[in-house]
Amino acid sequence: MSFALIHAKPGRTWSTLLSWTLFAAGIAAYFYVSQARHRANPEDRVMPTVTQMVRGMYAAAMQPAEDDEQQVSGKFFSSMLWKDTKATSRRFFYSMILLFPAVLLGLHMGLFPYAGAFFLRFVLFFDKIVALSLLPILFIAFGIDELAKVMLIVIGVTPTIILDTFNLTRGVPAEQTVKAFTLGAGDFDVAYRVVLKQIAPRVLNSIRLNLKAVMLFLFAGEMIASTDGLAYRIALLRRHMGMDVIIPYVLWVALLLFLVDYGMRLLNRMLHPWFRES
Amino acid sequence: MPLIQIHDVSVRYTSPVLSGIDIEIEEGEFVCVLGQTGCGKSTLLRLILGSEKPASGRILVDGIEHHQPDRTRGYVPQKYSLFPDKTVLDNITFGPEVSEFNLFGRCTPRFYRRRRELRAQAFDYLRRIGLRAEDARKYPDQLSGGMQQRVAIAQALITRPQILLMDEAFSALDPGTRRDMQQLIRDLWQATGTTILFVTHNTREALRLGTRVIVLARESAGQGSRVMLDLPVPEPCHEHEIPRLIDRLETVQAVA
Repeated sequence: MSFALIHAKPGRTWSTLLSWTLFAAGIAAYFYVSQARHRANPEDRVMPTVTQMVRGMYAAAMQPAEDDEQQVSGKFFSSMLWKDTKATSRRFFYSMILLFPAVLLGLHMGLFPYAGAFFLRFVLFFDKIVALSLLPILFIAFGIDELAKVMLIVIGVTPTIILDTFNLTRGVPAEQTVKAFTLGAGDFDVAYRVVLKQIAPRVLNSIRLNLKAVMLFLFAGEMIASTDGLAYRIALLRRHMGMDVIIPYVLWVALLLFLVDYGMRLLNRMLHPWFRES
Repeated sequence: MPLIQIHDVSVRYTSPVLSGIDIEIEEGEFVCVLGQTGCGKSTLLRLILGSEKPASGRILVDGIEHHQPDRTRGYVPQKYSLFPDKTVLDNITFGPEVSEFNLFGRCTPRFYRRRRELRAQAFDYLRRIGLRAEDARKYPDQLSGGMQQRVAIAQALITRPQILLMDEAFSALDPGTRRDMQQLIRDLWQATGTTILFVTHNTREALRLGTRVIVLARESAGQGSRVMLDLPVPEPCHEHEIPRLIDRLETVQAVA
């Protein structure tokens, strides 16, 4: 029973096998249940077969969306999938850009006591508001355009990023700031050349870990009020029980998010070669 | 006029830490502040740095009362002495770069010319502290504890501070490295003539380094530490004199 011990050291082959086991089990279970359901009812739409999903995804990736009839058929860049991916990515990109002011605010709150005293209580309170409960207010205040969806993400995620950056800033040893002052640095040198540079990789990690929250709020906004986007399409297909496209769409979203996460990890390693996660 | 004047300084947190401290330090002195853990040695250093304010009394450096740290007083702490995101070379040149050039100044050709000079100077310091040129590109976590403290000393000295404040700077090092570092700081002190205030709890180290040793200790529990002994160390301090002086210093601390 050595595999159950804390000091057990699985070899490379074992580690690889174990890490793929649940994927294999999940896929096998799906195929088994799907086949069984299709044997009982060939018209079953709840669990499409692989062939149905491939056909559905091919249609989504190669045929234009219903509302884009002027687009050419058979080309990926005119397809429904591309149009939806582009719309969701655009909103996601705006939201990510809006996270940078949050990082700067957290940094200033952590370093400058007056900024901390001014903002901290408010941000702590704001952090406790359930962003999705603000959805109707946002749609009334900002309309049902892009702004409302982006604001939803900003309200949902920025307090976490602000507080995380604040805590990371406070975690920089006092010796470092004192040392910087004794070397002739001014307040802004300390903020941007010493503290921000030191916390940057951890802030990037924090944003990475919040990617799912960003997507959650984005999907909520798109599902309720949108005419394009990946979540809009999933919500639309739900009405027609289009599981043959919904499942590949869900996997596509997961793949995109995985690629963004991987890209951010690479970027972090490239920008901060000195940083090693403890 | 003494370079550092500490007049009747008291500090109190939840209980008194320092009470009625009076010290005067002349330019060029190497003063070691000795005392047991928690006696307020580091607090005294932070007061001189300006990162902490006394409850009462005054601290003047070159006749001026400072309310925050600046480049007149260099600082080498025990830990976190280097910026982890910068290479050894960038750590050493950080001081002159930030103090001579603001954000816009760093975009001018003059900055790049000066940077070349500073790098040459940094390499000179690297040689003096016993590091190799190839260490310049390393990050602090790729250096041993002793090497990190050597770089920290070079980083502090390149800005030519009036005073160098060292807070238990060698206490995390192994005995061999510690001895090398003691020799290095003595040599640098003799070469530069910088006034050094060195906080330690190691009696032998204080005697080996300082031209003067100040002992801080509490007279009784619940009271703040006072200066219990201000002892000039014979220069040079011969090895055979050290045991007698250690006896004297440790007796004072034990009685306190």
